[in-house]
Amino acid sequence: MVAKRLRLLARYITLIPGLFLAGCSSQGLSRQFVLFRPAGPLANVDFRFTILDVAVMLGIIVPTTIMTIVFLLRYRKTNTKAVYEPKWSHSNFIEFVVWTIPILTVAMLGYYSYQGTFAVDPYNPRLINHSVGGKKAPRPLDVDVITTDWQWLFIYPKQHIATANELVIPVGTPVHFHLTSATVVNDFYIPKLAGMIDIMPGMRTKQVLVADKVGLYQGYSANFSGGGFSWMGFKTKVVGQNTFQTWAKHIAKSPQTLNYAGFNAFAKPYKNVDGKTDQFSHVSAGLFDRVIKAVTMGKVYKTPLPTYGKA
Amino acid sequence: MVHVQGPWSELLGRLSPSAIPNNPIITGAFLFSAVIGIVLLGYVTYAGKWGYLWREWLTTVDHKKIGVMYIIVGLVMLFRGFIDALMMRTQQMLADGPHSAGFLGAAHGYLIPYHFDQIYSAHGTIMILFAATPILVGIMNVVVPLQIGARDMAFPYLNALGLWLTVVGAALIMMSLFLGDFSHAGWVGMTPLTELAYSPGVGVDYWMWAIQIASVGTTLGAANLIATIIKMRAPGMTWGRLPIFTWTALSTNIIALTSFPVLGVSLALLGLDRYFGTHFFTAGMGGNLMLYSNLFWMWGHPEVYFVILPAFGMMSEIIPTFSEKALFGYITMVAASFAIAGVSWSVWLHHFFTMGASPAVNTFFSIATMVVGIPTGVKVFNWAFTIYRGRSRFDTPMMWAIGALFMLLLGGLTGMMLAMPPINYSVHNSVFVVAHFHTMLMVVIYGIMGGVSYWFPKVFGFKLDETLGKRFFWYFTAGTIMVFVPMYLSGFMGMTRRLDYLANPHLLPFEVLEEFGIGLYTVSVYYFVRQLYVSLRDRSENRVGANAWGTGRTLEWMTASPTPFYNFAVTPRVNARDELIWRKEQGFENTLPTQYEDILMPKNTAVPLLIGAFSLALGFGLVWRIWWMTDLSLLGVVLTVIARSFVRVTDYVVGASEVEQIERRSRTRGQSPRPDSRRGGMGVFRPSRSNT
Repeated sequence: MVAKRLRLLARYITLIPGLFLAGCSSQGLSRQFVLFRPAGPLANVDFRFTILDVAVMLGIIVPTTIMTIVFLLRYRKTNTKAVYEPKWSHSNFIEFVVWTIPILTVAMLGYYSYQGTFAVDPYNPRLINHSVGGKKAPRPLDVDVITTDWQWLFIYPKQHIATANELVIPVGTPVHFHLTSATVVNDFYIPKLAGMIDIMPGMRTKQVLVADKVGLYQGYSANFSGGGFSWMGFKTKVVGQNTFQTWAKHIAKSPQTLNYAGFNAFAKPYKNVDGKTDQFSHVSAGLFDRVIKAVTMGKVYKTPLPTYGKA
Repeated sequence: MVHVQGPWSELLGRLSPSAIPNNPIITGAFLFSAVIGIVLLGYVTYAGKWGYLWREWLTTVDHKKIGVMYIIVGLVMLFRGFIDALMMRTQQMLADGPHSAGFLGAAHGYLIPYHFDQIYSAHGTIMILFAATPILVGIMNVVVPLQIGARDMAFPYLNALGLWLTVVGAALIMMSLFLGDFSHAGWVGMTPLTELAYSPGVGVDYWMWAIQIASVGTTLGAANLIATIIKMRAPGMTWGRLPIFTWTALSTNIIALTSFPVLGVSLALLGLDRYFGTHFFTAGMGGNLMLYSNLFWMWGHPEVYFVILPAFGMMSEIIPTFSEKALFGYITMVAASFAIAGVSWSVWLHHFFTMGASPAVNTFFSIATMVVGIPTGVKVFNWAFTIYRGRSRFDTPMMWAIGALFMLLLGGLTGMMLAMPPINYSVHNSVFVVAHFHTMLMVVIYGIMGGVSYWFPKVFGFKLDETLGKRFFWYFTAGTIMVFVPMYLSGFMGMTRRLDYLANPHLLPFEVLEEFGIGLYTVSVYYFVRQLYVSLRDRSENRVGANAWGTGRTLEWMTASPTPFYNFAVTPRVNARDELIWRKEQGFENTLPTQYEDILMPKNTAVPLLIGAFSLALGFGLVWRIWWMTDLSLLGVVLTVIARSFVRVTDYVVGASEVEQIERRSRTRGQSPRPDSRRGGMGVFRPSRSNT
């Protein structure tokens, strides 16, 4: 008896996530599902393909699930009325159908995958150019991104300024990122604006995005990079185009400057537990390339030997 | 030889008293393990079982006993991996938002980042390589020779060696808990984080050598199983009559044999970087860290199919047995298994779509990945049509098989999402991916649990308790849903993986749900242990005959349960794909052999155990850079192998009359179980006699 009740209980427990979900939407928690609320064309395409893929797949998976459950119920041993054909194990027609359905689905999804992959290619941002084209498109902004253990440095080469652990970009403007790491691999990820792209030491990757709306967006490093990884978030402030210009001029007066020696000091292992941000003016030209070059020549920023059982 | 940070001495290498971690959690774990170890060793000594343990287990070459030992090692490591999971879930629940409290010296939660990182790395390494892989290898070890009518594996001594090398890997990982530390760079070993500059401790070395040594064992095991399936089939067992599980074992071991060497090479190159200062995977000096990612996943993705194909095979055995009907589409099932195996080599890049490869490259690997969905989809349909017009009964193995089928549907849905780069970019390193591959690994775990409960009576001669087994199933399933549904959802909230601290406080409700889910898992673990205990206690009431489930279809259900050490008294002649069903129809089911023959069986040997012991010393010496120890133990391995090659007689003969006696005894026991008998009848626990 107890066993049966416990089993029933366990079965009911499996329903809880569904109820929970229903509760979420009414309490505004649904706003937290950032991937469902894209704020830029790149994230928007990612989201549209998510919907498409899930819809196509559910088109197969739901009927298959229902079919399997119906078969299990109808052909249970205790149902003596059901047909029983112990030797029936082949049908050319069924084989044809069960091979054709997945093949057609994969062909369709494969085509969409091809389309989507080219659409959001960070190296040839057709989508971005297209989405800001037509109108008088603003000149793209360049941002060089360097990750260290465990901080972000955003360099605005044209403005000769840099910020640490905080990204500020103008709205409606294509932003071209060049990314590299001084130490180990990280991922550049702003869920509402753009998907992930690896940041690798000694190499340069690219990302490109446009923010549709002014606002504050959370950015992360998505690829594990060591002890300070959990605190490698950065705020992304999307501001009006004029505000951006004012802000850039303001930062250009910042007392802190940055050259390669300064960068090496900045790049010492540091866990940004308190969410510190920094602003630099007079950033040396070509700092980004110099960091890449140094890393390819063997520059490392060593992690100290840990004490066993401690941090 | 490179210089390492910290002290080093000729005698002890990097080992020093400071290598013993000073941490209350680790001390607790040590005390727990020490108590269990002392109790076990004490029991063996008290019961005077050392001789028995040595003769029947430690030196055995019997494929069933080796398989059982593989499964025991796997289950112990599964428990360890589960504890890791429990710790991670608790940490993520506690360390949520900037205002969360900190305990035990941590700023948030109770684990400092470096400790948490080791736990998640150990969890992954253990679950894939030291839980799933050994248990599956164990099941294949037990079942394949029985299904093809062989007396043992093609190379019994090699088989034992594979086991002991796997045990060495597991032992090294357990050692890392109490001496030094473990890798913090994930089970995949992310370069250049694993390089000496960013991981100066011994953790990465432990990880590297544990996997390296165990993977040698797995590769040898794969060669052995392939040879066994090709060469040791009973007369009449044509390829078209090969049981479906054996087919999947063949395809999966072809994967293992071709992919594990890639892992060995990539780890060896990493070893050269760490020990000799080369620059294969460093960022600078001409090294290429993405080369490692490519090499690792060239093994890593086939490894995923290495673990899932046997699970598919087990589902394909269980579903027909409990639907009392032939497997639908046998030929396409075989074709699908080999299609999955074949495509598995050309999808590795989908593990790093985000590295910035050209869209053409990403499109190729995307479509290749989706192609895997075709044979997998066919398999699901075939299982459904096996149930169609059958007579399904819901014994525990069938519950697990159906559970696996539904897990596969969910995993397939999310897998198809991840195969598409535009979607992948948005969730690549998020917990959505974590939830996806756990769903897929649940297919493996459900398959394993089904397979273990299905073949358990064959090996031990009695069934596992059904009531407790079902309770285990339901709690486990509830736990799975409670942990992984919220995890999928957190992925859509932009939650990235491997976080010691969650900056987003809105994740808290999901973390609480997951913690509740892992609590359900804990209950299920309790029922699993209780199931084993109760089944063992009441074994005399649950004794079964040769055809334990009554509707077995293949060869293994024709020989006695528990299976005698020689498997089949007389090698059967195979007439049909479902041989036992065919014999029933012809009325041959209970026909006894008219005469018995002498049987040639492999002798026990302590050599694999000895090589294992030397390998453990070798691994330990390499981790701590104690060069005299590595030199001596390597020499020990080489000399042992040479010495073994001079042993000329490795077999012994079991006389026909003895075989007849054993058979007669097992028949009388099978027909009339004696309720008073609490001893004997435990299959692999029974001495295999005349073996010395």
